Amino acid sequence: MIQPVAMQDFFITFFSSALIILAGASYALLFAWSKVNANFRIKIAAYVSYIVLIVAVVLLTRAANFTGYWLSLSAVMVVGYFFAPIGIWHLCVKTHAENHHKTLEEKL
Amino acid sequence: MNEENPLWASESFWKKVAIWVTAGSFIILVVLTFDSLSQTEVGGKRVQAYSVINKKIDYVYKEDLHKFMPVIGETELLFGQEFTEEEAEKLVTLGKKTTQAKNCMNCHTLLGNGAYFAPDLTKAWLDKGWLSKELREDLMIKFLLDPENNARTFGSNRKMPNLHITPEEAKGVVAFLKWMSSIDTNGFPYNFKTIYATEE
Amino acid sequence: MNAKELCGVANAKLDTFVTWTALDRSNLSDGRKLAVNYFIVAVILFFAQLLFGMIAATQFIFPSFLYGWLDFSVNRMVHINAMVVWMLYGFIGCTYWLLEDESQTEIVGLKFGKLAFWVLTIAVAVVVLVYLFIQIGAGNDTTLWLINEGREYIEAPRWADIGIVAVVLTFFYNVVATFSKGKWSGIAGVLTLDLVALAGLYLAGMFYMTNITHEQFWWWWVIHLWVEATWEVLVGVIMAWSLMKLLGVRRKIVTTWLYIEVALMFGSGILGLGHHYFWIGTPEYWLTIGGFFSALEPIPLVAMVVHAVYDSGSHAFKNGNHPALAWVIAHAFGNFFGAGVWGFMHTLPQINLYTHGTQWSASHGHLAFFGAYATINIAFFYLAIQHWRGDVWMSGNAQNAWRWKWALGLLNVGVVGMTIALLIAGYEQSFIERAVEGSTWSGYFSAQNHPSFQSAMVWRWFFGLMTFAGLILLIWDLLTIGKGETRKMAVVEAE
Repeated sequence: MIQPVAMQDFFITFFSSALIILAGASYALLFAWSKVNANFRIKIAAYVSYIVLIVAVVLLTRAANFTGYWLSLSAVMVVGYFFAPIGIWHLCVKTHAENHHKTLEEKL
Repeated sequence: MNEENPLWASESFWKKVAIWVTAGSFIILVVLTFDSLSQTEVGGKRVQAYSVINKKIDYVYKEDLHKFMPVIGETELLFGQEFTEEEAEKLVTLGKKTTQAKNCMNCHTLLGNGAYFAPDLTKAWLDKGWLSKELREDLMIKFLLDPENNARTFGSNRKMPNLHITPEEAKGVVAFLKWMSSIDTNGFPYNFKTIYATEE
Repeated sequence: MNAKELCGVANAKLDTFVTWTALDRSNLSDGRKLAVNYFIVAVILFFAQLLFGMIAATQFIFPSFLYGWLDFSVNRMVHINAMVVWMLYGFIGCTYWLLEDESQTEIVGLKFGKLAFWVLTIAVAVVVLVYLFIQIGAGNDTTLWLINEGREYIEAPRWADIGIVAVVLTFFYNVVATFSKGKWSGIAGVLTLDLVALAGLYLAGMFYMTNITHEQFWWWWVIHLWVEATWEVLVGVIMAWSLMKLLGVRRKIVTTWLYIEVALMFGSGILGLGHHYFWIGTPEYWLTIGGFFSALEPIPLVAMVVHAVYDSGSHAFKNGNHPALAWVIAHAFGNFFGAGVWGFMHTLPQINLYTHGTQWSASHGHLAFFGAYATINIAFFYLAIQHWRGDVWMSGNAQNAWRWKWALGLLNVGVVGMTIALLIAGYEQSFIERAVEGSTWSGYFSAQNHPSFQSAMVWRWFFGLMTFAGLILLIWDLLTIGKGETRKMAVVEAE
């Protein structure tokens, strides 16, 4: 069962859903960048993006009247968008790992 | 496989994951498809029998369900005639084929799907634009047969072109629209005031 | 002048044109000659898409424009059909382009492939002529079989449906038989399974049903599962091959990531179908399924972002084809904003109740189709033309580079401009028509007559014109880029 968005919450709904995707991507981008470039300011910017994402999820949860099991969607977004970039980064490192191994051998 | 390339980052692992995820999602979709199709058979709760065109159809807000629902009322004949289920199906089918043959969907939306140049037809039968329930059938038929001279442009200058609809096809289209307005669309469109709500 | 003379004149003009382009077909293998045939028709249909889009956009501002001759319904139908078909032509072309290279053998049924190309092209031409000159028919099966099926995106009459399936099966045979004769690979496997799905799903849209709920249920199987599942994977295959060839990424890595992409795309996309089943009469559980899987659909995009950063760290970005690389970057952004941001903004049922069937969908549709599919096809056109010219230089300091840069700019700014104009229109429409006036016909028209909607339509027209200008420049550039270039392509070193 859903409770439709109230008229005065239209803008906040569109805005917060767009912000979730943008902040999620910006966190992913900055997180990955902080791995390539060990500048602590990048890391801080990544976590700031993530905080923006949490705020956006809260705004959307309220505007779209999430109750009951719909709240788990909010939880999935908060948890999922945090860990997905980390997992994917590890996957990048490991799938490319053999290659670095080889180039090392070649160098030797 | 060397130690730097663990199982969860290997090609063969992801090949299996891709296959299982795809197959699993597809199987769930197939199961849900069977369920949805059986729940939306004509004559069920969600999609009414074609003979519903003999009845009064309204669309009202249900407080307990948080949504608008079609309500099937007493007898309210279409074209002053009582249709058997077979006759009704034949007429609605003619109407549905006409809406496809005339390409309605590339200006209008049906159940919200289509183009956005002309109004949604989901609850067109219930629209208060037909003034009153006594005038409605006649206005609809006239409009379909000669849309240029009976244009309902609401000040927009947008006119439906003459689509050379025959009188029989026009009756079919009206029957189809009446039948479609009785489908339970989970509350879409929201906040719709029907021709009956205006009259009362 | 009789018909024979007319043909003679046309032929001479065509010859002059071909001489002017100075493209040498002997630079292409037989398989790639077939591929470029598909690309040529794709570009012509791309032009038709924009032309009819412009006419339809004009009718939003001047409803009496061509009224009774070429009504909005006809123009809009040609607009969206040309789009679907040109993208399919592009994908088939890309597949033929990489098929011989990937399988390391010649295409097995080249004769059938050529025949299928001409059959399909003639069929498309006949269908379009019937759309334009016959337009509609009586409300019976004859119309559905011969003129128009009247179902958005798959309006093609039934005879053409059967033709399309036959052509796709020929294409499928060519792909499978060629890989079987040559060499199978992970890419080949994914491609084959994806083509099975592509052909199979089309069958779901080939039946007449009076029960409109059932009809739209199956209709979405074709539209959604094609566009948001099989096409995405097809793009993944094309990208995977391109990454190996252009950036020299190792096959094992590319294949692993192709599998990861397939898992993410199909995992979120197949049940993402649910977001089309909110309001067509289907049970309420689709609201939940559609909402949840729509929230998952941006995950593959996040994966791409992370991977792109990882790769930029490990590769020096050297590239022998700057226009193609620029279009791939446009693809990354367009796909992210069009599918990701614009998709999620209006997809949850709590808000979709108001946005469904408004200009919101048009806004999302324009950016998502362009960003996800037009861009990647254009990138491939540039790869093809470079090879066709004989692997000439297309990196920095190329002659007349302003043309591709301006074409890129005009097309992208044009589409983004249209998207924003339609977004404003959609916002206003969902607010006034849906929320305030409750979706009645008078509510619909008060939204359409509203000054902000009207001016949004004017802005859309201007940005449409910009897009159109960009396409004309793009076609000119594709025909002339690398002409007279003597330097050879910059060589990319393998990883």
